[in-house]
Amino acid sequence: MRITGSARIAAAAPEQIFRLLLDPAVLSKCLPGCEGLERTGEDEYRMRMKAVIGAVSGAFDGTVRLSDQKAPQSFRMAVEGSGRIGFVKGEGLLKLAGQDGGTEIAYDGEVQVGGMIASVGQRLLDATARMIIRRFFTRLSEEAGQ
Amino acid sequence: MIPQNFDYAAPSTIEEALELLADPEAKALAGGMSLIPLMKLRLAAPGRLVDLRRIAGLREIRQDDGALRIGALVTHSEIESSPLVRSRCPLLAETASHIGDLQVRNAGTIGGSIAHNDPAADYPAALFALEAKVKVAGKGTERTLPLEELVVDAMVTALEPGELITEVIVPVEAASTGTSYQKMRQPASGFAIVGVAARLEKSNGRIGSVRVGVTGLGPSGFRARRVEELLDGTAGSDGEIREAAAVVAEGVEANADLHASADYRRHLAQVFTVRAIRAALARAS
Repeated sequence: MRITGSARIAAAAPEQIFRLLLDPAVLSKCLPGCEGLERTGEDEYRMRMKAVIGAVSGAFDGTVRLSDQKAPQSFRMAVEGSGRIGFVKGEGLLKLAGQDGGTEIAYDGEVQVGGMIASVGQRLLDATARMIIRRFFTRLSEEAGQ
Repeated sequence: MIPQNFDYAAPSTIEEALELLADPEAKALAGGMSLIPLMKLRLAAPGRLVDLRRIAGLREIRQDDGALRIGALVTHSEIESSPLVRSRCPLLAETASHIGDLQVRNAGTIGGSIAHNDPAADYPAALFALEAKVKVAGKGTERTLPLEELVVDAMVTALEPGELITEVIVPVEAASTGTSYQKMRQPASGFAIVGVAARLEKSNGRIGSVRVGVTGLGPSGFRARRVEELLDGTAGSDGEIREAAAVVAEGVEANADLHASADYRRHLAQVFTVRAIRAALARAS
């Protein structure tokens, strides 16, 4: 599933957003359901997540890896997670551009979802993925405003 | 297909239910048409189910102050066949008749459907067109809010943990109001790939008080205000209806799945908006 789109954060310039996006404490606050992000190496983190989407809930264990960092314009993020209800694997490029004192973040990535969650939830995968991304950027925007 | 073990409680009052739901492991059970399949697939594993079906006050439909108050546990088939709903708010009865299949309509409830907020549920189209309000109870709290404020995103509502929907409030419609719900049905599940509800009034050859609600297209149901504005005050010619319907998907992030791409959904939304408005117009007097 290809995921592309953009989000605007009015409260902060790309330099600050770039810093926030690379800060594990901020990331763990912004990722819905994230219960902890633990540094395991250079730009590599172990993540524990409890996803609650409607009545569905499931714990995921996984990794987040950041690469190709070109501060403050772009970086790549790779996320992998698996749990009893399925697995998620995704990789994408995030591009930051200054706009009227704020930041426009454009994302473009490919996400694979498998296991039980994908086989019975296909109808909702796209809407759910977009929902998670919107919530992530809403929280990031709140963090940037503080 | 066997759920994980869980405790079960069937309280007879809302207060008892709210007490039980204060436990984060507890989950409210209404008709169970979404929750039980998820539990059988083990995508949901609540520690305790709080069955709301024995709470008598939640199963009533009554008319009061120009509004219909529908208890959260009223089933789709009860709404579909209620003489009160059919005569006072026919759009809601018509929409209920399109949900899923007979088994789903016999067990599924309006409150459960709203709380679950599936982006392809049928009710949101009608409830947005009707500017419905929802009454919500928490431990020691009670609030009534427009559906628009309750619905946040796909499968996400503004309900706080431990809160319950107790009532859905829709207006009593004048007999001269024309309404219609039109949907593209996903043949296997019965869910709306796209569904559009329209309500309007006609006086001196002009259309007024237009409301259009859409489901299936975006992350959750919504009111197509631009369509309403364009149609308001027109004579409702074919050209005017088409022109208004053309903007229904503007600014909406359309859903995509195996059954319909985002572009196809946007196209369907226009087609079904035209159909819903035409049908509502034919029924208005």
